[in-house]
Amino acid sequence: MSDVVAQQGTEQEPEVDLSIADAVIDKYIDIPGNLMPVLQGVQDEYGYVPRVVADHVAERLNVYPSQIYGVLTFYAQFHLKPRGKFIIRVCVGTACHVQGATRIVETFFDKLHIGHAETTPDLRYTFEKVACLGACGMAPLAMVNDSTYGGMTVQKVDEIVADYNQRPLK
Amino acid sequence: MVNVTIDDKQVTAPKTATIYEAAKLNGIKIPILCHDKKLKPFGACRMCLVEVEQMKGRQIPACTTPVTEGMIIRTSTPDIIKARKMVLELLLLNHPLDCPVCDKSGDCDLQNLTYEYKVNTNRFKDEKFHHSIDYNNPLIERDMNRCVLCGKCARICDEIVSFGALTFIDRGIETKIGCEFDDALNCEFCGSCISVCPVGSLLARPFKHKARFWALTKHTSVCGYCGTGCNLTLGVKDNKVLTTIYDENQGFHKGQLCVRGRFGYQFINSSQRLTSPLVRKNGKLMETSWDEALELVAGRLKNGTSVAALATPRLTNEELALFKTLLLENVGTKNFDHSAGFAHSALTEGFVRSFGESASSASILDIQKSDMLLVIKTDSYETHPVVGFEVNMAVKNKGVKLAIISDKRGKLSKLPDATTLVHRPGCEVAILNAIAKTIIDEKLFVDTASTVPGYAEIVKALSEFSAESVAAQSGLAAADIKKLASEYATAEKALIVFPVGQGYAGHNADLASATANLAILTGKYGKEGCGVLCLSEKSNSQGAVDMGFYAQDGGLNGLQILDACVSGTVKTLFIAGEDPLTSYPDRTKVKAALDAVEFLVVSELFLTETAAMADVVLPACSFAEKEGTFTSTDRRVQYIKPAIRKNAQTKTDYEIFSDLITCLGGQAAVTPAEKFSEIAEHAPGYTGLSHIILRKDGAFATAATKPAFVVPKATPSPATENGKFALVTGSVLYHNGTLSQYGEGPMHVCPEGYLELSRTDASAYKIADNDLITVASAAGSMQLKAKVSSRMPAGVVFAPYHFSSAPINTIWTGSPVTMVTVAK
Repeated sequence: MSDVVAQQGTEQEPEVDLSIADAVIDKYIDIPGNLMPVLQGVQDEYGYVPRVVADHVAERLNVYPSQIYGVLTFYAQFHLKPRGKFIIRVCVGTACHVQGATRIVETFFDKLHIGHAETTPDLRYTFEKVACLGACGMAPLAMVNDSTYGGMTVQKVDEIVADYNQRPLK
Repeated sequence: MVNVTIDDKQVTAPKTATIYEAAKLNGIKIPILCHDKKLKPFGACRMCLVEVEQMKGRQIPACTTPVTEGMIIRTSTPDIIKARKMVLELLLLNHPLDCPVCDKSGDCDLQNLTYEYKVNTNRFKDEKFHHSIDYNNPLIERDMNRCVLCGKCARICDEIVSFGALTFIDRGIETKIGCEFDDALNCEFCGSCISVCPVGSLLARPFKHKARFWALTKHTSVCGYCGTGCNLTLGVKDNKVLTTIYDENQGFHKGQLCVRGRFGYQFINSSQRLTSPLVRKNGKLMETSWDEALELVAGRLKNGTSVAALATPRLTNEELALFKTLLLENVGTKNFDHSAGFAHSALTEGFVRSFGESASSASILDIQKSDMLLVIKTDSYETHPVVGFEVNMAVKNKGVKLAIISDKRGKLSKLPDATTLVHRPGCEVAILNAIAKTIIDEKLFVDTASTVPGYAEIVKALSEFSAESVAAQSGLAAADIKKLASEYATAEKALIVFPVGQGYAGHNADLASATANLAILTGKYGKEGCGVLCLSEKSNSQGAVDMGFYAQDGGLNGLQILDACVSGTVKTLFIAGEDPLTSYPDRTKVKAALDAVEFLVVSELFLTETAAMADVVLPACSFAEKEGTFTSTDRRVQYIKPAIRKNAQTKTDYEIFSDLITCLGGQAAVTPAEKFSEIAEHAPGYTGLSHIILRKDGAFATAATKPAFVVPKATPSPATENGKFALVTGSVLYHNGTLSQYGEGPMHVCPEGYLELSRTDASAYKIADNDLITVASAAGSMQLKAKVSSRMPAGVVFAPYHFSSAPINTIWTGSPVTMVTVAK
């Protein structure tokens, strides 16, 4: 199986090396209830779940492709399109909202030229509004990947974007 | 049994029943939308809410709650009515309410419940759904705007069909039923989802806007395609069969149908049907009168033994019996046969020798009652899809073990915990012999086996079939063969299933005997869930055998008849409904035979290639236009009656044979009902049956078994040659014989022949799907479209035989495995 390399993807999907998926599948293949860990594993590897990978998982785990798609669309944690290297999440929960989260969000939109749940064409940033990040004391709050930025201001947005623009993509 | 009180009525119900089932058993109606008796309880729609006193008056779903002793249930209190009304209000909130143009109108659960609960206003306000409608396939329309998310379609596709095309996608208010990546539906199109849809979300497109449901007359019938014997309800209006209607109480299969049964009915009212007798004049087929045509035919039938006949096992028992009478008594020939002369040999030779009876020793009902199924060839699903549903349900719901011996993988191999031994093509008999030898060597056989006639011979003959040597020639592991042998022998109940048909030349008498040997050795026959089930190809294949319509007492068989046409000993050939040019092996030979024979008569529904060569063509009738009986593959005899009036210029085959008997000076035939009474007197197992008895449910013709061991010949599989592929022929899911070429449904899904090959071979030869490739054997060469699939092993290619546009018999001469070359 591992020698099978998907020839064509859709427009957004460049050629995908299925041997990476196979390595994940091999790890869980004999465990009952392995669909979630496999999907999480392949998402960790590819950054999202490409269609050819979903189909490949379906074939190897003997699960209907439709069922896999049902799982992928049910859980917010799965992504079907490539995601940016840096995931910016801005809290718009109650505490952050009253502290002006809306302006923080708008500033990010202006700076990055993308909206909610969108990704920049260079795959550097994905922006998401989230309901609560669980640190209301630091409102308004933003996160970039695993780094937390509390007490956000419009100036801080500039600084964060300038900082991450410098970081290497690869 | 437990005692419960439903609506102040003291009733009893089985311990395992749900409240809904208990109420239904006692004639109390609880409304449902998402529940179906064939599916596992789901509890999604909340229409079946009831109050249970012990649960402090809480409203609980009746379809998922089991009854307990002393339960006091109320099904229609004012609170319950109010709750149900609200459920309907919420369901109707986003629903388009386009009943006037919806084909489901009149047969719609949502509409009926809305009417019953008088929901004429809605307290809620919201936008209607704006899902795009899936018109991408010609058979099933998916309009998710009308959907109530009962999930029945997704569940039936998983639990019974085991295809899994549909599922819930997305979440919350955005949830809808869809396919993977929200694609267009692309499945096997059995239409089971349509049959259970309670609203107009899933509809049959061929029936779209053809008639209102209440304008249809419903006629029960039996499907005219394969040998499963599924019951049908035909929806008729203005003397046209417009659709098939689902009836969950019909037949052993509870109304389940495959793509052929549900969508293949269009041949009945096809505009291509023959409507007048044709006679060849100056080399051209010209319309003529019945009198002239019959006189001409009768004149030729006076020539006794130089007459031969081939009939399709789609004719009724009465027609076949009458045809036999005509040939034996009025014409005086024993040269008649059906199904190319070999497709019935598993029954007429194999089972006759091994079980003393030309019938399977098990029924389809045994599948779900067994502990282990041994299926020879995954094609059993393609040839008999509704039998395949039974296998699916046995494996998935009842935990029946499934082992498959096959030359390719298939849908059945994907069932949970199914073991598939993929072997080199043509080794089936050798593998079965090796299993038998293992059973003998490891003393896994029953004590009585050694008293069965032929025991000493079989022990001796099997000595050369050690698991190791068979493993080497078949490409399997010896350990797998031994494991299968011990699993089969130690299972309490085990059933062997194999398909036969014109595309399965290797599934012959030897294969039947080899399977029978296993059953006899281990005592797994003649009891529930055990035996050997041979799946015969056409709607009345078993009946044709029971009527004795095959070569016996020195008569020529199907293939010998063709030889005799060439050599000149057969001068008149009467073909009733067969299309040998497409379906018999070796097209060159068939063509030569039909060219050589002096006089060719064909009775047919359509001007097939064979009919086009005839001297006289007689327009016959389909199963929906005649009265008679079909005997299914497990010997269930079922009665069919006309659903529509036939065209005045056509005759049923029964009338044709009857007229010919009179022309030949014989006595006019009795009615089909009286003919059946005659049959019941002579045909083994039919005693006591009559049309009146069969009208309602049909009945099984009994089969008594007299076991004997027979040494089956294992033909060695052809040696693999470099650069050559092993071609195996067979049936594709959507088709059956050559008749399904005139069914719009099957032709939409699978319009032409193809060659299926493995991914490995495809990439080695740089062949992609739909590439036109040239396939050549010693017999000839032809072009076919390529189909690359994951189920084929490297070096093996598969081609279906049904298509006259790409007749596979150009390169196939009747051997189970043909070596071919493939070039792009």
